[in-house]
Amino acid sequence: MSFEPAKISVHGAGNALEGFFSIKVGDDTFGLPVTRVQTIFRIGAVTAAPGGPPDIVGLVNLRGKIVTAVSLRRRLGLAPEPGGTADGSGSLAIGIEHRNEAFALLVDEVGDVLTLTAETAIAPPPHIGRRRAKFASGYNRVGGQILPLLNIDAVFDFAEDR
Amino acid sequence: MDEMLNEFLAESAEQIEAASAQIVAFERNPADAALISSIFRLVHTIKGTCGFLGLNRLQKLTHAAESLIGQLREGAKATPAVVSAILAAVDRVKLMLAELEEAGREVEGDDSDLIELLERHVALCQGAVIEEAQAASEPAKAAVAETHEPATGEATQGKRAETIRINLDTLERIMQLVSELVLTRNQLIELTRHKDDDSLKSPLQRLSTMTSDLQDAVMRARMQPVERVFANLPRMIRDLANELNKKINLVTEGADTELDRQLIDLIRDPLTHLVRNCADHGIESPEERLRAGKPATGTVRVVAAHEAGQITIEISDDGRGLNLDRIKEKALALGLTSKPQLERMSDDEISRFIFAPGFSTAEKVTSVSGRGVGMDVVRENIQAIGGSCALTSKPGEGSRFTLKIPLTLAIAPALIVEASGQRFALPQHSVVEAVGLNGGEHKIECVQGSKILQLRDAVLPIGSLAELLNLTAPAERAGAPEPLAVIMRVGAQSFGITVDAVTDVQEIVVKPLGGSISHLSNFSGHTILGDGSVVLILDPNGVCRSLGLEQSRETAAANDEGPQSAASDKTRLVHFRAGSGVDKVLPLSSIARIETVNSSRIEYSNGMMLMHHQGRLMPIVAAAPDVAINEGDNTVFVISPYGEPFGLLVDSIVDIVEHRLDVEIGGDAPGVTGAADIGGKVVELLDIAWFFDLLHLPQERPKDRKSRLLLVDDAAFFRDMLAATLQAAGFEVVKAGSGAQALGHITRDPHFDAVLIDVDLPDGSGFELVTRLREGGARAEMIALAPYATRDIVRNAEAAGMAGAVGKFQRNQMLDLIHACIERRQVEAPESFTGVAA
Repeated sequence: MSFEPAKISVHGAGNALEGFFSIKVGDDTFGLPVTRVQTIFRIGAVTAAPGGPPDIVGLVNLRGKIVTAVSLRRRLGLAPEPGGTADGSGSLAIGIEHRNEAFALLVDEVGDVLTLTAETAIAPPPHIGRRRAKFASGYNRVGGQILPLLNIDAVFDFAEDR
Repeated sequence: MDEMLNEFLAESAEQIEAASAQIVAFERNPADAALISSIFRLVHTIKGTCGFLGLNRLQKLTHAAESLIGQLREGAKATPAVVSAILAAVDRVKLMLAELEEAGREVEGDDSDLIELLERHVALCQGAVIEEAQAASEPAKAAVAETHEPATGEATQGKRAETIRINLDTLERIMQLVSELVLTRNQLIELTRHKDDDSLKSPLQRLSTMTSDLQDAVMRARMQPVERVFANLPRMIRDLANELNKKINLVTEGADTELDRQLIDLIRDPLTHLVRNCADHGIESPEERLRAGKPATGTVRVVAAHEAGQITIEISDDGRGLNLDRIKEKALALGLTSKPQLERMSDDEISRFIFAPGFSTAEKVTSVSGRGVGMDVVRENIQAIGGSCALTSKPGEGSRFTLKIPLTLAIAPALIVEASGQRFALPQHSVVEAVGLNGGEHKIECVQGSKILQLRDAVLPIGSLAELLNLTAPAERAGAPEPLAVIMRVGAQSFGITVDAVTDVQEIVVKPLGGSISHLSNFSGHTILGDGSVVLILDPNGVCRSLGLEQSRETAAANDEGPQSAASDKTRLVHFRAGSGVDKVLPLSSIARIETVNSSRIEYSNGMMLMHHQGRLMPIVAAAPDVAINEGDNTVFVISPYGEPFGLLVDSIVDIVEHRLDVEIGGDAPGVTGAADIGGKVVELLDIAWFFDLLHLPQERPKDRKSRLLLVDDAAFFRDMLAATLQAAGFEVVKAGSGAQALGHITRDPHFDAVLIDVDLPDGSGFELVTRLREGGARAEMIALAPYATRDIVRNAEAAGMAGAVGKFQRNQMLDLIHACIERRQVEAPESFTGVAA
């Protein structure tokens, strides 16, 4: 069920190349640096954290370590995944460490690893809403599609939500 | 080089700390040549290393200090001025070491002032010392010293070479790994619990034991003696005494008591503050003390001890005690209470006001203490680590602070409670009891919009955990009232929360919350339970605040609690299961240790269960006939009533509760003192003496007529325990619960062979009772009973014309004393008092 990124990050062999997972929530696809991903797993039971930021689904036991589970759907203001559980248990999650805290980012799907270069980067489209724009740290055009890169700092910074 | 510098810094910090403590000790005891040699060596070592590392400034200063200490070693008088000069140098060295640590190199600075001062004292000493100590011979002596000292230094180092320094991070990392190992093991056990796979069970059992041992070993590695906190107290007391013109003697005991290093650092400030307070507010000036008929020198005592899985630190002084009138005035002025409330309060309750924020009664604000910050912070800090802080004070006799501190922060026993389908861990240290609400006896009422629970005499604020945390109840349960109230205490504040169930009691490994949710004040951390699920740990302080119980309302609660604690005859009881009957209890005080013993460690010999305990074979008895050894872990209470330990095998521990114990003698089952009621539940109090006798059966018993004893003790527990012990030894025992009852017995029939009297009775002291009983016609010898036969008690007993005094747990001494009394009586006047009866 879970696999380690080390096995697939071999993709990026060139110098200026960087590997990115393409992750999907709803109709959105984001790029996430392979180097930031510690593991990908399906979470078990979720323990709610009453009073915590609403986008935090709760706490999850990842192989004996307690990680904070964050729903990317909620974070982006999307509707819950159709067919998903109410508390997020059983969702697909990406293990990411951010500022010494272990997080599990709940997503719908993890796709291929894409290789991005400086040439594929484009300027941010100007009309994106402020609430959404802060979650993208850059934009790329790959294979005719626009791929925003996930701004991990913004995703896991809940200072505004308190 | 860097590594050497670090090593030097770590070592010197300890050495300099030790040196300053020793210098203060030396000032008090100038005849101790070993002490001054040791100080000299410490300073000399630092000087030597500084020279080696090229730390010139430090070397110069330590050299000057060393010269002066050398003079002391040669026999110069340690005047306060000399000691102050050395201490000033020690302080400067400390400062320089701190700068060195920060900057990584020696910071520029001028120490000529200090060096001059030290040299001046050296000159003075040389003049004052016998004329033979001519300046010319001085360098030669120093040279001799320098060649010899390192050798002795090495020799002492050789002795303690079996330690190594470990980086703290490494130790923390090991601890963390062990914690995770414990959790994984718990999960494994949970997984295999329901499977009958024997091939798994035995390796798992081994893994389990080894994990526990490993955890224990790592915990022990983190332990450090409280000495580390005590070390700087002598210096502080000395400086305070000088500054305040008082004479203060500091006594520390139990410095070798060990505590988790994390906790050592956390208690340093509160402890220092309390000691400072005792010295500043407690101890009077020498003149005042003499006027009050006390010795001019006041004493501050700091005593640390292990007690039932926690550390107790007592800080007491023999000073003036708290000024209750001032506290009342101040409490009224601050609006913390009202006059009628004050009138109903006991002295202890009034003393508790000093823990209120912004409370300071010091009439003069000194630089030492009395700025009104402090006691509340002290208590908050102690509570934050799961400890408690209590205070007693007697006007004119002094005050005593008692700190109770858990051994470690990392692992704590906790109740697992359930509310709205979600589980939470509740640290057991703040839980008083759990009360069922369905029986109808206790119910929650709404008073002016706030929920209240009447429990015995107390009126407790109470809230629903689910409501507090905004939990949504599962649909099938919505609206149903929660059936259980968990009563907690935070400081003086008692309150309750209602939950759906208490599902378990577990040792949890406390892990701090991640940054994104660490602001949630209701929780102090999280943990993983045996079944792998994550639960949040409730923070009693936070819950208390969430309920809207602020500090200012504490007084009201303290008052509610009043009648309960005033009539307190409360005993800490271990509540456990043994056999098929009702649950059993034993006073915690009677249990030396609670051990988890693997079945493989228990052996049978001669029809008796035995286990190895501290290098000896210890007998074990089952607490009830139907308690048997389980494959795997067993719970054994080690009980050592008369210095000979034995084990009591029980099924499982339910809880440790603090409860009033009223025993109604049942006496039908062997080994049971009687039945008691705790929190609405019937439990049996076991009779330790019976189990003890079971193991030591062929006891010497008086064969002649039964001697008749009168036993006076107001505590039902002791009365019953002692009566059972005495009856087992062949005496006829008449029990009395008060002085008046005893007098009643005496006037009805004065024929007792000996009278045993508890020194502390509700209607007057036991010593006074002696006179009253004699006037009532008693002719028997009398023996004083006390928790411990201290010298004071023995002296008072003698003064009251009693035959002696003995501790309540000292069975053998007690029996010896009784036999001696009876013998003396038979020799002196055989049965000749018949005419006296009224």
